[in-house]
This record gives sequence, structure tokens and C-alpha cells, in this order.
Amino acid sequence: MALSVNANFSEEKDSWEIKVSGEVDISNAQEFKSKLDGALELRRSDLLIDLSSLNYIDSTGLGVIIGTFGTVKKEGLTVKLINPRENVRKLLNISGLDKVLC
Amino acid sequence: MSDLLKLIVPGKPEYVGTVRLTLSSLASSVGFDIEAIEDIKVAVSEACTNIIRHAHEGEEYNYGVTCEVEDGKITISVEDDGRGYDVGQYEEPDLDEINEGGLGIFIIKALMDEVSITSEVGVGTHIKMTKTTRSAVALG
Repeated sequence: MALSVNANFSEEKDSWEIKVSGEVDISNAQEFKSKLDGALELRRSDLLIDLSSLNYIDSTGLGVIIGTFGTVKKEGLTVKLINPRENVRKLLNISGLDKVLC
Repeated sequence: MSDLLKLIVPGKPEYVGTVRLTLSSLASSVGFDIEAIEDIKVAVSEACTNIIRHAHEGEEYNYGVTCEVEDGKITISVEDDGRGYDVGQYEEPDLDEINEGGLGIFIIKALMDEVSITSEVGVGTHIKMTKTTRSAVALG
């Protein structure tokens, strides 16, 4: 299943609301990174990433999220992951990302 | 006697999904539950990704994925003939310092029942991982 990244800026929350759908692996992790970078280039702001429609992710996709977190953290901004499916939650747990980003 | 399924896979990112789907189908037919099938999908993808990232540089190559099925147990071997590395140099990621380095191998070890990694510089890397269905474990 292809990757889809839908980014909307919420003036009310002063944050990007990003919905990620499909699968992220080594074949499209760069595309995922470009979408997140593109949003941040338009507006430096917090990122709220909705994972409810994300079916699959592995270390390549988690690496993109980790890299983005590392970038925005230096600017005092945050990345928050919400609504992960059970299989995705398990990986967030294994990698320790749930403690920092959920 | 065990059943063997062998795949020869081009070392290109776009084929990792094909391997994942194949393993998902195989694991389902063996009798793994949904959670275990997801574990196997991620673990085999991580092994393939590891090869694509590290095994060869700037040349076309194939790598092998061999699946051995016997009595509710699946053993998956992912092998390349690439650069190899010093396994002793691998360091597990420090989860208090969020960092992507080494995460793939760490995830494989967390998701599979048994994992062995052998690698030799200039010869290649072999990741062998095993998982057993809950019913097979219960039967002992």
C-alpha cells in the first residue's frame, strides 16, 4: 500500500496536523521525510502526527521521525505521535519513542 | 522434514515490500496469529533493509531469503555476499538517547524468538531468525 501524507496547519493549535496513511519502509522513507521537511519549510511549528491510518512502519520510517524530532527540538518545537495501531505502538514501545513522542 | 521456500531478491528498496508480503502470506499459512505475522513482516524487512543500506555500494546484486517451515516454526535466513562487518562492533542503541543507529537489528532481536547474526568482512552477512507459533510452543 502506498504512502500518503496529508499536512494541514491548524491556526487554532498553532501546529501542523499530519495524517500518515499506508506503509513506510525503505522504498518511500525519503518521500516521508520530504513531506515533513516541506511542511516545516512552509512554517516552523510543532508537528502533531496522526498514525491511525498507518498500517506499517519500520526502522527507516522511525528514523525519519527521530531525525525530524532532533531537528525541531533544537528550535524548541515538538513532535507528537497520536493514535498508533497496535503493531505500530509495539515498535514505538520497543524503540523507546513512545516515552518521548506519545 | 521441513518445507523450504527460497527467494532471490534484487538489492533494491522497491522489492522489500514484496518480500514482506510473501512472508506475511507464508506466516499466515503456518498458523501464526496477526501479532506474530506483523512481527515477522517487520523483522524480515529490517534484515532486507540492512542489506540494501550496507552490503554493496553502487553495484547491482541479489540477496537470498530462505524460509524453512516445520511444525509451527519458521526459520528465516537473509543472506548477502556484500561487504560484511565486524559483528563485535555492533552496539545496541541507547533508548534514553533517541537515535536511529542500530535500531533495525535491535528491532529484529526484540520481535523474533531466536536471532543469530554472522558476518565476515568481504564475504557477507547472514541473519537467521526463528519464530514459533503459540500453539506449537504450548505443545512443547
